[in-house]
Amino acid sequence: MRTIDDFTRPLEYLNPFTQSLASIVRTWADKEVIPYRRQFDEDWEEHNLIYPPGRKLMAELGLQRLLFPEDLGGMGFGESDYAFSNMYILGEEMSRADSGLAVALGVTLWPLMSIALKPHTNRRLLEEFAPLYSNTTEMISGALCMTEPQGGSDIENVEFIKGSTIRTTAVRDGDEWVINGHKLWPSNTGGIADLMGVVCTTNPGSRDPDDVALIFVPNETPGVTQSGPYEKAGMACDKNGDIWYENVRVPLWYRAHDPGKDALFFLDLISIANGITLSFTTGMMMNVYERLVDFVNSRRFHGKPLKENDAVAGVLADYAATLEALRVLGYQAARMLDRSDLYGERWSPEMMAKMRSYRYFTMDRCIDVMGKVMNLMEAFGSDRDWDVEKHWRDIKMNQLWLGGKQLCQVEAARWFFNCETL
Amino acid sequence: MSDQDLFPYPRNRLQAADLDLAASLQAMVQKEIMDKRLELKEGYEELLAPSLAKLMAEVGLQKMFWPEKLGGEEHNEPAASYTIAAALEQIGRADTGLAFLAAHSLALQAAVAAKDGYREELCAAMAPLFCEGDKSLIVSFVLPAFSEDAGAPLWRGKGIQVKAKSGPDGWTLNGKGVRPTCSGADAGLFGVLCAVEGEEPAFILVPGDTPGLTRREEILKTGLAASRNADLDFKGVKVPEVNCAWRGDGGTYRLLSWYYLGLSAAGVGALLADYEIIKEWGDNRVIKGSGHIFKENPLTGALMGEIAKEIAVDRLLAYDLAGILADPEGYGGEDAFAVFTSALMLVHHIYVSAEYTIHRTMELMASAGYAKEWQLERYWRDVKTVQCYLGAYELAKHDFARWFYQAKTL
Repeated sequence: MRTIDDFTRPLEYLNPFTQSLASIVRTWADKEVIPYRRQFDEDWEEHNLIYPPGRKLMAELGLQRLLFPEDLGGMGFGESDYAFSNMYILGEEMSRADSGLAVALGVTLWPLMSIALKPHTNRRLLEEFAPLYSNTTEMISGALCMTEPQGGSDIENVEFIKGSTIRTTAVRDGDEWVINGHKLWPSNTGGIADLMGVVCTTNPGSRDPDDVALIFVPNETPGVTQSGPYEKAGMACDKNGDIWYENVRVPLWYRAHDPGKDALFFLDLISIANGITLSFTTGMMMNVYERLVDFVNSRRFHGKPLKENDAVAGVLADYAATLEALRVLGYQAARMLDRSDLYGERWSPEMMAKMRSYRYFTMDRCIDVMGKVMNLMEAFGSDRDWDVEKHWRDIKMNQLWLGGKQLCQVEAARWFFNCETL
Repeated sequence: MSDQDLFPYPRNRLQAADLDLAASLQAMVQKEIMDKRLELKEGYEELLAPSLAKLMAEVGLQKMFWPEKLGGEEHNEPAASYTIAAALEQIGRADTGLAFLAAHSLALQAAVAAKDGYREELCAAMAPLFCEGDKSLIVSFVLPAFSEDAGAPLWRGKGIQVKAKSGPDGWTLNGKGVRPTCSGADAGLFGVLCAVEGEEPAFILVPGDTPGLTRREEILKTGLAASRNADLDFKGVKVPEVNCAWRGDGGTYRLLSWYYLGLSAAGVGALLADYEIIKEWGDNRVIKGSGHIFKENPLTGALMGEIAKEIAVDRLLAYDLAGILADPEGYGGEDAFAVFTSALMLVHHIYVSAEYTIHRTMELMASAGYAKEWQLERYWRDVKTVQCYLGAYELAKHDFARWFYQAKTL
C-alpha cells in the first residue's frame, strides 16, 4: 500500500539532519495533535487543548530556539545553508496534523528571521531575546505586526506603496523609540503575543525606504494592549486580534537594522512567508491523501471499492498528480530561498515575484483538487470525523493571508512583464 | 429597484402572492435572522430553531401543498415551483441551512400532496404531522450512500441504507449507522428509500418518534448549523402499510427533482447574500493608498463583475428549473427521469458556480473573507456542505450520460 512517503521529496535538497527532524515532528503530530485536533475548533478562544502540543514541540523539543546561534542556546538554523529546506519539512509535517498550529509555531520564528538569518543577523538583539526563548519551559509566541485598519494588505504591497500608508509611528525620543498605532490580524496575537516585530514609519506618508522601521516590542512593555482573538472559519490554533500601541517606549537598538535595511528585510520576511506557506499546503494535502485512501478503499460503488471506478480514479489522479507536482515545486522554492548565491537575494523583486507566483499557483491548484475530493466523499466530506473539511477550511485561509491572491497576481505580473503602474 | 432586482428573474411568471411572500420573507429574515447574527452567531436554540419554527409553522411553508380539508393551504399546482424558488432564495439569503431544511419539507409535500400525484390515504395519515399545532416539523431523507458493506443492495451504484419487509401489520425497517440528508438529531419525519428483497425499492415515511428508531451523537460538520445531523439506527421499526409513499424509481425521481429546486433556490439565496457583502466591501474599501476605491480597480472590479455574472446566471437557472417543474408535460411528460436529469444538472451547475463565486469573493476580501464578523464565510461553508450532501458531481455526470447518451451500465 502506498503512503505519503511515496510522494517525491527531492532528496538532493535534504541533509541527513532533515530526515531525523521530520521523523521527530511526525511522531509528535501522530501522538500529540492528530488524536485531539477534531476538538480544536471549539477551543479557539481558550487554547486549553491547543497549548499543550504547542508547548511540547516548541519548548520541550526546543523548536522555538531553532534560529538562535548555538552559543546562545539555539540550533543555529539562521546560519545554515539548509535553513529553508529544513523549515519546509518542518512546516509540512506540522501542517499534516494541523496547519493552524504550524502557522502559529512558524510565525513565532518569523519576526526573528529579520535578525537571525544570514546575511543580516543582529547579534545584540539575538543575545537580548535568546533567554526569552531558551530559559523557559513554556511556549513563547512571536508575532509580526503589519496590517492596519485603514489599509488592509497595503503594507504588504511594498513595491507600489513603499510604506507610505503605514500609520503606526515610531518617533525617536532620546535613546528610545516611542510607538503609537493600531495593528490588526497578526498571527499569534489575540492576547498571546510575547514578542512582536512591529512595522512602523518614522515619517508618516513618506515613500522613502529609510523611513520604514521594524522594531521589536515585548508584550509586557507599558502601552501595549492586545484584544481577545477573532472568531474565524478555521485555523483555531492561530489566534488573531487587534493590538494597540500607546506611547510604547523601547530602546533605540530594538530596531532590527539601520534605516533602509529594515524595509529590505521586511521584504525578505514577506518572500520567506510566501515560500514557507507552500509547505503548509503540501502538508495538508499529505493528510488529505491519507484520509482519502481510507475512504476510497473502504467505501463502495457498484459493489467495488470506490477507487476502482474509472470516473472516481480521474479525481484521485488529479489529486495525486497535484500533490506530487506541488511538493516538488515547494521544495524547489525552499531551496531557492536557501541559495541566494544562485537565485538572488530573497528580498529582490525577482524572488518576491517568484515566491508570490508559486504561492498563487499552489493555492489555486490545492483548493481546486481539495474541493473536488471533499465533494467526492459526499456527506462524509463535510463530516469533521474525516478531517478533509478541516484542511479545506484551513487551506483557504492560507491563501488569503499576506495580502491574498490579487497581490500575488499583481506582483507576479509586475516583475515578469515589467509593469510600471500596477 | 432593490439590489436583488438587479439580477433578472422571470417576474412575470410569478403570481402576485409569490411576490408578496418573497417580499415579506425578505423583511422577516432580515429582522429575525440577519440583524441578530452578530450577537447570536449560528446558535441553534437561540436563533435557528425559532426562525425555522416561524418559517415552517407560522408562515406556513410546511402546510403549503396539503389540502385545505386536512389543514393545509392547498397551494398544490405545479406552478407552486415558482413559490418555492421565490421563498427559498430569500430564506437562503439569510441562512442557507434553513432553506436546506425547508427544501426537504417542500419536496416531500410536492411528491405526495401535489395535485397531479395526490394520494388520499397517505395524505390523510401525514398531513396532521405538518398542519396541526404550531411546531415546525423537520423532514429528512435517507437516501443511498457509499456503503462499507459489499453485500448492500444498490440503487444507481450506491448502497441502500435501510432494508424493509412488508408483513400483515405493515412495514418493518432495519438499518445500522444510517446517514440521513439532514437533521438526524431533530427530524420529526424521515423519508427512507428502502431495499425490499426481490422487489422494487420502497420509499417509506417514518415518524421520528417511532419505536426502534434511535439517533446517535450529533455529527460535527463544515456548515449548515440549522441541520443538526446524526446517524440513525433502525431496529425493527414498524410503520403502517400506508406509510409507503411509492415503489420504484419514478416517485424518487420526482421527489429529488423538487428537492433540487429547493436546493437551487437556497444556493441562489447564498449568492444574493454574497453579492450584498462584496458590494459593501467594494464600495467602501480603499486600496493602494488613498483615492483608489476597491470596485474601481481594473483587477478587483473585473472579479466583482464576474461574481455578478455568476449570480445572475444561477438565478435564471434556478427559475428555469421552477419552470420545468411547473410544466411537467412540456419537459419530459411521463418520463420522470427526464425532469430529474434536468434538475440534477441545474442544481450541480448552481453549486459548482456558487462555490466558485464565493471563493472569488473571499479572495477579494482577504482575511475579512474568513472572519466570522463579515458573515461571508458561513455561506462558503454552507454552500460547500450542501454540495457534499447533494452527492459527488463526478458520479452525477453518469446520470447526465444515461439520459443524453443512453448509457446502460454507468
